[in-house]
Amino acid sequence: MNTQFSRSAAIVGAAEATEIGYLKDPKTAIQLHIEAIKAVSDQTGIPISSIDGIFSAGWSSELAEHLGIHPKYIDTTQVGGCSFEMHVHHAMAAIYAGIIDVALISHGQNGYSMRKVGGSGPRRGLGNDNSPASQMTSAYGLSGAPSNYSHAMTRYNYVYGTTPEDFAHVAKVTRDWATLNPRAVMHSKETHKAGGPITIEDVQSARIVSWPLTLLHCCLVTDHGGAVLLTRPEIARSLKTRPVWVAGAGESMGHSNMLEMEDFTATSAMASSAAAYEMAGMGPDDMEMALVYDSFTVTAAITMEMLGLAPRGQGYRLWKDGDAAPGGRLPINTNGGGLSFNHSGMYGMQLLIEAYRQLSGTAEDGINGLPGKQTGASTCIVNGTGGSLSTTGTLVLVAD
Amino acid sequence: MAYDKPIPRPSPHTMPFWEGTKNGKLMLPRCTHCNRVHWYPRHICPFCHSTALEWIEGSGEGRLHTFAVQHRAFGGWAEEIPFVTAYIDLDEGDRMLTVLRGVDPENPESIRIGSRVKVEFEQADNDIHIPFWRVVEEGA
Repeated sequence: MNTQFSRSAAIVGAAEATEIGYLKDPKTAIQLHIEAIKAVSDQTGIPISSIDGIFSAGWSSELAEHLGIHPKYIDTTQVGGCSFEMHVHHAMAAIYAGIIDVALISHGQNGYSMRKVGGSGPRRGLGNDNSPASQMTSAYGLSGAPSNYSHAMTRYNYVYGTTPEDFAHVAKVTRDWATLNPRAVMHSKETHKAGGPITIEDVQSARIVSWPLTLLHCCLVTDHGGAVLLTRPEIARSLKTRPVWVAGAGESMGHSNMLEMEDFTATSAMASSAAAYEMAGMGPDDMEMALVYDSFTVTAAITMEMLGLAPRGQGYRLWKDGDAAPGGRLPINTNGGGLSFNHSGMYGMQLLIEAYRQLSGTAEDGINGLPGKQTGASTCIVNGTGGSLSTTGTLVLVAD
Repeated sequence: MAYDKPIPRPSPHTMPFWEGTKNGKLMLPRCTHCNRVHWYPRHICPFCHSTALEWIEGSGEGRLHTFAVQHRAFGGWAEEIPFVTAYIDLDEGDRMLTVLRGVDPENPESIRIGSRVKVEFEQADNDIHIPFWRVVEEGA
């Protein structure tokens, strides 16, 4: 059983790069990493020299070298945007086992700036260009995540009789959250010419990227750097920040290439959340809010079903009926999501940072002292989804 | 006009498939232990983990599992937008990706999941013929 791990580590700080979003002056990915790491060290009072475990999506040796540290535990798991939730899982196991005291999980990605300064940093390292799976898919004109995920929405609508408009509610409500978050790219007309509230009609009349997905069913592609620190309870209690406890963690995968996706209306989050709930000794009814990867509207809706928070075929109703909205029964994606807050290519770190802020009661502070949107939730389920609805990492986090 | 879209490069393991396409055959890997066909080609049966695999000639028929209409693409495919991509349930089992022919990309509501589809091959260069699928009978 995995229950002995529960609450054996806490997230004690979570910070972002100095600037995030569509950066006017381009930055490299490594700079975004380092800005966030410096900020989380300052926030917690944990010196960078005390970090003895390093976790990142492909970067760990380069990052440790850049920091001039020599960690005892090096994990560079890169399975897409859920890697960061998996890093928490791995870090808590390493802490529980007594191998390390302080784990750094770091993210830096210049999804926007890379157009000007190049996408520096390690390559994904998933398979090779001439793998059999690649040979059997590369000829057919797919171009990136939207072109894959659209197939899932078509199948979902066929199976459950839903429509693209049903999913448009996810985009609309998530934008409502973004209007409460000054750090969100789509907060207002001041932050972006297309920012501010949107209607279902706006979502459906936006240009089609990959039918049935219009542009507003798709997440942003921005710059972001973020870092969190995890440590053992004794140290967590001694810091100036409030700990957020990792009550449960789980990870799973359905496939790597979408060619191998058995059921286009389901993900491995059913398995990864079952493991996380079991470890936590908690269930869906205990969750007061949720932060789920919304690469696309359909991703978020399916995920809520997999987490046991909506019946199959009805995930979108959480948004349509207002449960997920500001003031609703079960707030979802309170930062404005990958759809309207920030999404740099991988979004798992943004989930962790918002979860820490909400559960440590510091969401009001936002970044640079700007006001935010504190929910008062004391429990939160966090789910990252990577690849093409491929891989999932789920965390049950609880306030101190 | 020369074929201007990405052309897959065979590896030793997938050669029988690409050799087949040159002769108008859809060759599929099948496990001699559990008799199940899998796609894409593996070095081990993903169902029973036997390594005793063989190639069989498939029927080249199946059904439309799901689809999307691509309005954004790169390279040679950018000239073709909008076009329909689809996952095909092979009659022999497992699933293939394709660009679907015989459908109207401007009217996706008219495309029926479950439609019967047949494979056809397009010559891309001297060595490679690429399989594409076409709707031959509208499904439920």
